[in-house]
Amino acid sequence: MVLALGALLLAAAVVLFVLQPLVGGQSSSLERSDDEMSETEALRRVRLLALRDVEYDFAAGKLDETDYRSLKRELSAEALEALESSMREARGQGSAGLEAEIAAVREAIGRGTVCSTCGHPNPTGSRFCSVCGSPLTAPSRESDAAERDALE
Amino acid sequence: MKNGRFMVGLVGVAAIVTYLVWTGVSDTMVYYLTPQELMAKVADDPSFGSVGVKVSGRIVPGSHEEGQGELLHKFLVRDIEDETVTFPVEFRDVLPDTFNDSEGMPADVVVEGRFENGVFQANTVLTKCGSRYEAAPEQLQQASG
Amino acid sequence: MNVVGELALWIALPVAIWGMVFGFLGGRERRGDMVLSAERSVYVVFVLILMAALGVIDNFLADRFEYAYVANYSSLDLQTYFKVAGLWAGQTGSLLFWLLLLMFFSVLCVWQNRAKNREFMPWVVGILQGIATFFLVVLLFAGVNPFEKLGFTPVDGAGLNPQLQNYWMTIHPPTLYLGFTAFTIPFAFAMAALFNGRLDTRWIDVTRKWTLLSWFFLANGIIFGMRWAYEELGWGGYWFWDPVENASLLPWLTATAYLHSIQIQEKRGMLKVWNMGLVILTFLLTIFATFLTRSGLIDSVHSFAENTKIAFIFLSFMGSVLIAGTVLILWRLPKLQSENQIESFFSRESAFLFNNLILLAAAFAVLWGTLLPLISEAVTGDQISVGPPFFNRVNLPIGLVLLALMGIGPAIAWRRASGRNLKKNFLWPVVVGGATVAAFLVVGARHPMALATMGTSAFVMTIIVVEFWKGTSARARIGGENYATAFGQLVWRNRRRWGGYIVHVGVVLVFTAFAGKAWEVRIDQTLEPGETAEIPSPLGHTYSVTYDGMSTYQATPTQVQGNLAWQAQALLSVRIDGELVDRLTTEKRMYMAPQQAATEVGIHSVPLEDFYVILSDVADLQGAVAENDPEAQTATFTFLVNPLVGWIWAGGFVLTLGSLIALWPGTEVVRRSSESQGTTRTRSAQPEPAVAAD
Repeated sequence: MVLALGALLLAAAVVLFVLQPLVGGQSSSLERSDDEMSETEALRRVRLLALRDVEYDFAAGKLDETDYRSLKRELSAEALEALESSMREARGQGSAGLEAEIAAVREAIGRGTVCSTCGHPNPTGSRFCSVCGSPLTAPSRESDAAERDALE
Repeated sequence: MKNGRFMVGLVGVAAIVTYLVWTGVSDTMVYYLTPQELMAKVADDPSFGSVGVKVSGRIVPGSHEEGQGELLHKFLVRDIEDETVTFPVEFRDVLPDTFNDSEGMPADVVVEGRFENGVFQANTVLTKCGSRYEAAPEQLQQASG
Repeated sequence: MNVVGELALWIALPVAIWGMVFGFLGGRERRGDMVLSAERSVYVVFVLILMAALGVIDNFLADRFEYAYVANYSSLDLQTYFKVAGLWAGQTGSLLFWLLLLMFFSVLCVWQNRAKNREFMPWVVGILQGIATFFLVVLLFAGVNPFEKLGFTPVDGAGLNPQLQNYWMTIHPPTLYLGFTAFTIPFAFAMAALFNGRLDTRWIDVTRKWTLLSWFFLANGIIFGMRWAYEELGWGGYWFWDPVENASLLPWLTATAYLHSIQIQEKRGMLKVWNMGLVILTFLLTIFATFLTRSGLIDSVHSFAENTKIAFIFLSFMGSVLIAGTVLILWRLPKLQSENQIESFFSRESAFLFNNLILLAAAFAVLWGTLLPLISEAVTGDQISVGPPFFNRVNLPIGLVLLALMGIGPAIAWRRASGRNLKKNFLWPVVVGGATVAAFLVVGARHPMALATMGTSAFVMTIIVVEFWKGTSARARIGGENYATAFGQLVWRNRRRWGGYIVHVGVVLVFTAFAGKAWEVRIDQTLEPGETAEIPSPLGHTYSVTYDGMSTYQATPTQVQGNLAWQAQALLSVRIDGELVDRLTTEKRMYMAPQQAATEVGIHSVPLEDFYVILSDVADLQGAVAENDPEAQTATFTFLVNPLVGWIWAGGFVLTLGSLIALWPGTEVVRRSSESQGTTRTRSAQPEPAVAAD
């Protein structure tokens, strides 16, 4: 009979534990948390990383100059498109200064100083993002090929 | 254009693999039969089984003999359902450890090879101890009884 | 404990059903309270299943032979750790063990995601509990309850099959099961993504480590199985294309394909439908593996007793998952469109795509060969079957192409590679490969497949070594680090990529070992005590093996050692050029309970080959054992020289190392910074770009 009692207690505990949220009104979140990227932000990140990939492939000798330049042009355009989308999403369409920001970003892409984590356009020659601190691993055009390799 | 090359590649891979599988099966396939089925097919066509065949049955208790001075094992295999259907097997390799022709628990066996002139020349002998798990309770019964 | 354990199984079933229902309902109705309830049910079911498993183990440890499972797999004198491992010794316990591991991973997943990925979790929980429900239904209603009683109490159990009484039995099945069950998490997230419509790469990013973990366990589990077969089954081989072996290989093949194709989705937003299909397929193959092993559907040395009720339940489950998955994919097809196209035949994307095709082709071939008896019987009425000749014939060329791709992938650029650069990058590796083949030809080796494998392995190794070299030397030069530090930093900064390359090295070693089979030597010889046999090795030297004598043992009514009825152990000394190199023993044994013979082999391993001895036969076993009569100790031995077998185990270690590096925490999904949220707070630095520049 101890067994029957034990089993009953076990079952009761289980039921209580599982049913409690429905009765007591506790719930777990169903919303994306603040620090998780949205689809647009994730896409932006991928496009920026693709730019970095192309630098590495060129530095490692897997691409010749012509292919490198044409790929870089394409990828820059794609990255800009993604950055624009995410900036509009974050700040709302037509907010003040948005167009100027986009232009700044376009320039930074060309220089290779756009942060792949947060999208912030950094000044030329920056090694680390001034906003989020991530290393800017897309090297600027002028630097040594070996330096690019070392930044892997 | 771009996709064209890929379709070629994809179709190429699929075609090569299909070819490999097709010829692989037709060149290496063996019929997998029971002794009853084997005997029936041989009765119809005496040359059946000379290419390659796999038979699943049970070892006849006490039928195991060994060649003298040479690596040769002989035993009889019977149909699991019809005990009267048997055929002899010759095997020129090391028998698996689970090989058992004891009266109480003869092993189930799968032999693969060629059936020629009434004798099964086996390349592979696989024994299963599958029946052991069902036999066990009866054995245990005796132990406690 | 055992009674509570049995009860726990019954309590677990309604709880699992609750979790499944409220997970889905909570997700659809957006009710956080329902979802919390469902998440709690996961923890509860885990505890209950743990209790059930402990109950089974308790039965073993307390020798309760009234339970059929204990009676079949244990005995009074069985060592304790085999009693504990009895949990997975047989069919019914294995299913419970599988469920236990599944629940363990489910708990890990739910707990890990209690504050993140919330948009997926309701459905993830629903799916996981749905699978748990399935296993509980099987355990409780398909006649495979580990708590089933015999109806009487035997004096002693039947004992554990002696071939299972070794170290490998305790690690091979659990490792494989860990691999199978870990894959459930990526599957659950994939389904959740289909349900909630978030079909970008998020569900993949979040489950990448789970996929890698599963792959890691599968690879090791398969290698452990090979080692076990090699050391214990005593045939000198390690793989027999047995249906159960094939069943474990299939999910590994598709998981490997999946690991690569998700990178394409990550980089280019392509292959979304393909990846969905692959993850469902791999999950189905893990269920299929359980099913094949447990249902006795295909004859196998491994298989347990047949059970058609199980067959029906498993097939229904697999069919339902397949149909549900297909319907869901079709429903979400618009969101699964590719964002890009493959631009060039010569690109890494292309190499990965071929990798996938090849792996799936191998999986298809293995599946076809394994199921052929069933299919042919259904279609023609006769069962036809194929064996190692078929599988080797089809898979060897496939393996060769796969091997080559392992070298091509790392050396080729994303998007489109420049032809001129390609030629430059592949020149030396091809030269090295060619030189390797030439070297083999020079020493007289002729086997074409093996030579092609050697050449391709050299090609791949060259490429990988050069990749490491380029990265390390650049780092060392710029950073002023010494090469060791530079290397460490290089790998550490990008663990996914370099860990992956190390895994490739491990796989190359394993494939090279397979090629070694081409130069296998086998000699059967009968020797009297004192006689010597000469066995030439393909490496040029000769093993002189002297049969020194035989040591025997026979149990008497008064003296019983272990579980042995008798034992005949041949002692051999191995010499090369007159120098003693090793002493080996090989023996035949007869166990008492259960009554079964076994052969133990003797192995002398050096890096380049194994010298392997099997005691095939003793002319007069009775005389040898009973009377310990030297005259009766003439024995027949099978001597084998197995080239490169050790490279399989070495490859296993290397791929383990690579996997651990890639799995190491710190490369989780990158989080947003506050900048993109529109505030000007500065956050602390992320340590490194988390996703590989790959």
